[in-house]
Amino acid sequence: MTKRLQFEPLMAIGLVIVIGSITMLLAGVNPFDGFSALLLGAFGGRSQIGETLVQTTALLFPALGICIAFRAGLFNIGAEGQLIMGGLFAGALGANLHAPAIIAIPAMLIAGIVGGGLWGAIAGWMKARYGASEVIATLMLNFVAGYVALALVNGPWKSPLASGAETAPLLPTAILPTLLSGTRLSIALLIAIALAVVLHVVLRKTVFGFDLRALGDAPEAARRSGVNITQLTVVALALSGACAGLGGATIVGGMLHRFNTALSPGYGFTAIAVALVGELQPFWICIAALGFGALESGGLAMQATAQVPKDAIHIIEGAIILVLAARRYIVTKRTANA
Amino acid sequence: MQSLRGVDLDVVAGQIHALVGENGAGKSTLAAIAFGELNADEGTVETTGTVGLVHQHFELIGRLRVWENIVLGREPHIGPRLDRQAARHYVAERAKAYGLELDVDAYVDTLPVGVQQRVELLRELERQPSVLLLDEPTAALAPNEIASFFRIVVSLAERGTAILVVTHKLQEVLDYAQHVTVLRHGERVTSIPTSQTSLHEIAAAMIGGDIPTLSQRSVREPQPCVEIKNLTARVGESSIAGISLSIEAGEIVGIAGVEGNGQSALADALLRLSPYSGEISFADGFANARIASIPQDRLTEGVIPGWSVTDNILLSRQHHADASKGGWLDHANMHQTATRLVADYDVRPNNIDLPLRSLSGGNQQKIVVGRALLDEPQFLLAYNPTRGVDVGAAALVQSRLIEARNRGVAVLLISFDIDEILAVADRVIVLFRGEMRGEFHGPLYDRARIGRLMAGVS
Repeated sequence: MTKRLQFEPLMAIGLVIVIGSITMLLAGVNPFDGFSALLLGAFGGRSQIGETLVQTTALLFPALGICIAFRAGLFNIGAEGQLIMGGLFAGALGANLHAPAIIAIPAMLIAGIVGGGLWGAIAGWMKARYGASEVIATLMLNFVAGYVALALVNGPWKSPLASGAETAPLLPTAILPTLLSGTRLSIALLIAIALAVVLHVVLRKTVFGFDLRALGDAPEAARRSGVNITQLTVVALALSGACAGLGGATIVGGMLHRFNTALSPGYGFTAIAVALVGELQPFWICIAALGFGALESGGLAMQATAQVPKDAIHIIEGAIILVLAARRYIVTKRTANA
Repeated sequence: MQSLRGVDLDVVAGQIHALVGENGAGKSTLAAIAFGELNADEGTVETTGTVGLVHQHFELIGRLRVWENIVLGREPHIGPRLDRQAARHYVAERAKAYGLELDVDAYVDTLPVGVQQRVELLRELERQPSVLLLDEPTAALAPNEIASFFRIVVSLAERGTAILVVTHKLQEVLDYAQHVTVLRHGERVTSIPTSQTSLHEIAAAMIGGDIPTLSQRSVREPQPCVEIKNLTARVGESSIAGISLSIEAGEIVGIAGVEGNGQSALADALLRLSPYSGEISFADGFANARIASIPQDRLTEGVIPGWSVTDNILLSRQHHADASKGGWLDHANMHQTATRLVADYDVRPNNIDLPLRSLSGGNQQKIVVGRALLDEPQFLLAYNPTRGVDVGAAALVQSRLIEARNRGVAVLLISFDIDEILAVADRVIVLFRGEMRGEFHGPLYDRARIGRLMAGVS
C-alpha cells in the first residue's frame, strides 16, 4: 500500500498533463508545443524566472493570509478585497509621504497592512458581533472594496496627470528596491518568505497559534479551554486581511508604482487554491505559490508563442485542484479503512 | 476491526433476555445484526415474525402530536383526506390495550422523557413484532419511571413477545430478565438464567476480573470554598432557577437528576461560559481559585480528537503560567507533563504522540480527568465523568475524584448515574426542573427517596 501511495504524486502530475493536453488538442494546438511554451515562458530565462517569481510573490501574500483564517475555521473569501484596500492605502500614502526610503517604504507597507487588516476586521466584527457568515461578509466586501477604490481613483484621488483611473505615481523613495535587475522582481519576495517563516513559527510554537488551530479544529472545545472566540475571530480575520493588504502594498510598491484598479487579476481568488493546495502549511504554500506563479507567467508566454488561449491555464489550474482534492480524498478514505 | 466473534444467542418467546457488556464489547453490533441493520460476515439470524427496535435515542418528531407520530406513514384516510378522528381513536385504543398511559393529543417535545419512551415503544409495537429489541431503554429515565417502563415490558413478554434488552444496568437485569448473556471483547463469555447468578458474578464476567474498589476517603476539616447564591441561568433548553449551595474544600457534592433537568445550565454558569444572575463567590484563601472542569461531552467539548495526546493535555491549560511561558508553548514541559500523566493514569497505549482519537473512550477520559487535576485546581466541576467509559476506567476516575477531595479540592459532581453519585459523593442534592429538591448527607443514603425526588414526586 505504501508503494502505491508513493506513486500517487506522479499519477497526479500525469493526470494534469493528460487533461492539459486534451484542452490544447481541443484548442487545435500540439500539446508538446503548448507545454514547452509554458515551461519556457515560466523558466526559460532571467526575465521569465523574474516574472514567475513576481507572480509567486503576488499570490503568496494573500495565500498566507487565507491560511491564517482557514486554520481558524474562518472561510475568508475576501482576500481580493483586502488586497485592493491594502494597495489603495499604500498607493495613497506612497504618493504623498515625503520622507527618505528608510521611512517611506516601511510606512507604505504598514499602510497596506492597516488597509487590508481593517477590511478583514470588518468581516470579523460582523461575524463576532452579529453572527454573520464570514463567507458572505468577506465575499461581499470584495465588491465594496472594488467600488470604493474605483470611486476614489475616479474622484478625489485621481491623478491630475494620468488619463486612466489611477492615483498619482509613488514618490521615488517609496518604490521597493529591485531584487533581480532587469525584471519587476522586488524585495517583496523576501518579505513574503519571511512572512511564511513567521507564520510557521506562530502556528507551531505560540499559544496564539495553538488557540487559532483549536478554534479551527474544534470551536466548542476551544471555547471551553478558555479561548475568547469573539476576540480571536476578529483578530484572525484582521491578520488574514493584513497579509493580503501587505501583498497589495508590495504590488503597488514593487510592480505598478502607483495604485490603479487593475491591481489584481484575481490574485485573492487564485490564492485560495494556492493555500488549499499547500494544505494550509506555510512551507507548502510557498511551493504551491511557485507552481501557480509559473502557470500565471508561463500562460501568457504560451498564449503568445503557441497560440494557446490563456484560459487553458485556468483549466489546468482547475485540474490540479481537482486531482489534489481527489488524491486527498482517496488517502483519507484509505487511512479510515485501515 | 472485528467486533463480534462466533456469538450464539437464543431469545425465547415470552422471555426477557438481557444482553450485557462493557462499551465496545459488541452489544450494539449484535443488536443491529439481529434487527437487520447490519449484515453478519458469518452466521445467521432466524426469527419468527418481525423484529422491532426501540433506540436509545428516540426517533420521534417532537413537533408532532403523539397520535401523529404513531400513524405517520400509514395514516387512515378518507379519499385524500387524513381521517383525524379515526387516527386519534385508533392510537388511544392501542395505547390502552398495551397498558401505556398516554395523552394522544400532546406534542411529543412537551412530554417528559419517560413518556416519550412510551410513545417510541407504542410505535414499535404497531409493527406487531414477535421480537422486540430494547437498546439501553432506561438510560434517560428516573428510577420510578424505570419501574413503570419494565412493568409494560414484562406484560408484553407475558403475552408472548420475545424481548432482548441491551443494557449495562445490572440491577435491572436481575430484577426483570429471565436470562442474561454477557459479551466481552466481542465474544460470548456466559449465558445463564438470572436465577442462577448474582450481580457480582455478572459484573466480574463483563470485565473479566474482580470489580475494582474505590479509594478510601480521609477525614477532613470542614472549610468553606465555593458559595453559590440564587443562581439562575439558561443554556438552550436547559435552565436553572434560584440555586443556592455551598461546597467545602475537601468535599464532593453530588447533583443527582435525570438528564434535562438543568444540569447543563448549572455547569456552564459555574464555568462562566454562559450569562447568569446570582452570585458565585469563593471563600477567603480561594480568591483566585482555579476552576477545572471535566466536560460532559468529551468529543466535542473536552478534546480535539485529531490532535496528539500531548496537545490535548495542554488544551484548557494553555493560558496558565505553569504550562506556557510568555505566549510561547513550552514543548519540553508539555512533553514531560504528558509523559507523567499517561503513566499516572495508566493510559494505554502510552504513546503521547498518537492522535487522541486512536485511544479508546476510557483512555481518552483518563486524559481529560488527569488534565483537569493538573496544576492543583481548587474547584473541580465533573459532569458525567464516567459516561461511556468501561468499568476499570470508571473506577480509576472515581478514585481520582475521591483522592482530589482528600487533598482538599472542592468537587461538584453532576451525574445522570445515581449509583455513581451515591458511591462517590459526601452530600447529594437532587435537581428537578432546574430547582433543588432535597439535600442528603452520606455515607448512607435513602436511595428510594432520592429516586422519587428525581422524578418530581415528593
